[in-house]
Amino acid sequence: MSLITPDFGLLFWMTLIFAIVFFVLAKFGFPLITGMVKKRSDSIEQSLRDAEEARKSLKELAAEQKKLIEEARKEQARILNEAATAGDKIVQDAREQAREQTTAMIDQAREEIRIERETARRELADEVTNLSIEVAEKLIRGHLNSAERQNALIDKLIEEARASHKTVN
Amino acid sequence: MLAILLQAVAGATFGKFGAAIGAGIAAIAAAIGIGKIGKSALESSARQPEAASGMRTTAIIIAALIEGACLFAILVCLLGIING
Amino acid sequence: MHRIRSFILWFAAALLLLAPATAAAAGHEASEPGELDMKSYIFGHIGDAYDWHITTVNGHHISIPLPCIVIDDGLHVFLSSRMEENGYTLNEDGKLVNAATGKRPVDISITKNVCSLIISSILLVVLILLTARWYRRHDVMKEAPKGFAGLMEMLISMVTNDIIKEGVGKDYEKYAPYLLTAFFFIFLNNLLGIVPFFPGGANLTGNIAVTLFLAVCTFLAVNLFGNKHYYKDIFWPEVPAWLKVPLPLMPLIEIIGMFTKPFSLMVRLFANILAGHIMLLGVVAVIFLTAKLGPALNGSMSVIAVLFGVFMDILELLVAFIQAYVFTMLSSVFIGLSRQEPAHEHEQLETTNN
Repeated sequence: MSLITPDFGLLFWMTLIFAIVFFVLAKFGFPLITGMVKKRSDSIEQSLRDAEEARKSLKELAAEQKKLIEEARKEQARILNEAATAGDKIVQDAREQAREQTTAMIDQAREEIRIERETARRELADEVTNLSIEVAEKLIRGHLNSAERQNALIDKLIEEARASHKTVN
Repeated sequence: MLAILLQAVAGATFGKFGAAIGAGIAAIAAAIGIGKIGKSALESSARQPEAASGMRTTAIIIAALIEGACLFAILVCLLGIING
Repeated sequence: MHRIRSFILWFAAALLLLAPATAAAAGHEASEPGELDMKSYIFGHIGDAYDWHITTVNGHHISIPLPCIVIDDGLHVFLSSRMEENGYTLNEDGKLVNAATGKRPVDISITKNVCSLIISSILLVVLILLTARWYRRHDVMKEAPKGFAGLMEMLISMVTNDIIKEGVGKDYEKYAPYLLTAFFFIFLNNLLGIVPFFPGGANLTGNIAVTLFLAVCTFLAVNLFGNKHYYKDIFWPEVPAWLKVPLPLMPLIEIIGMFTKPFSLMVRLFANILAGHIMLLGVVAVIFLTAKLGPALNGSMSVIAVLFGVFMDILELLVAFIQAYVFTMLSSVFIGLSRQEPAHEHEQLETTNN
């Protein structure tokens, strides 16, 4: 029976010693150890989380970079395209302009030629007129020495003018 | 013959007899319980080997709990033997 | 395979060399009056005593007499070897009684168990404080402890993470010191009980007073810090009214449950360690019991006994750890149960209603 009856002396000493051990360990022993271990595991977790975030942001950055490159390439294509069309357009415009200019120049030249021709003709006409007048003068001078010949000519001329005037009317 | 039997019965200490039988029954009970745990632990480990270590821990803990119950009985039997 | 077989053969041969030694023992035993007294042999080892019996050489007991402290009309302190002079003697249970009156005084002697308790407590405090000293001296971010501090850290981490955090739940840091102290106390004392010579060998955790105190500590830890909800569940549980009102059946059962849980903790630890010790002692006693049966039988039985004893020792190591583990785990689970949040339980109710 003494096996299962607790002995008072042992209970007394057990209370005393366990209380002392508990206080010593709860103050200086276990909190320190568990605190340090927890601190280390927390920092490991934190650095793991940071690494995870860094990896994620790296991946995002890589995706963004790829997107930027893609866009840049698209931009490049577009610019090339635009440049090509602009070039074409410039060439086209230049050609147009050249055409216009040549047309203008041609027109102007034609105009000038016409003017020149006109002038030339007029001059020629003047020359011819002058010449003919001189010739006619000379002729007429010969003929128109006398006054009656002059009157007869005038009458003839008036007749002819009247006749043409009538036909016109 | 009858005299021998009577003598045996008169001197028989049923306390100790009962205690011994009780201890045997407690051992059988412990063996049955822990055997069942072992069986299900092995089967589950075979089904899912990667969870085997968790099962081992659980099995050991539950075996300790069963042994606690059986040792209650052993204790009572021990008392019977000591006092009887 | 060949090496294992040859090792076993050599081992068995070495053990068989014990045969002449056991023959000598047999001869020696035969000269002593009477056989080995199993009861006193076993109970001497697992019980308490007022001196620490270390060994017996040539029938001559070598033991350390321990001080007796008795409160019997004043404080008497004397060495147990001088018990008779101070008027005290041992009764048939081995306890100190007043020689004149035959009554037991208030006895707070330093018995073998108390001495072992003091030694193991000092050892425990030294071990844990040595580990804590490592943490004070080294920066924990830069290096991990190696060697002894590493082993202790591994154990403490395992207990904290697997047992205490899971069992207690939310604010486990408050209860971790008590649970860790209980775990290491039980583990160290279990281990010291297996060691057969001086600082160990005293059956401390196999003593009902020690386990009673630990169970009472757990009882206090569970009930002093219990939730209001926990107490409501005990004294007015949510069961049909006829179980509560004329005769408070359920509250009574709950109150009994409140006491049986630490009681089972106490008996589990006590019975496991005690049974282990008795078995080990019994196995070793086989050698002495069969001493009379002649050297051959004795030799073979000794070999078997030694092998079985080795197996039992290894089992005892496992049991030492497991019992400490189970005690701490159940204590932490009980503490966690007493501090469960009511919102949790309402959720559980809702799910069961759905």
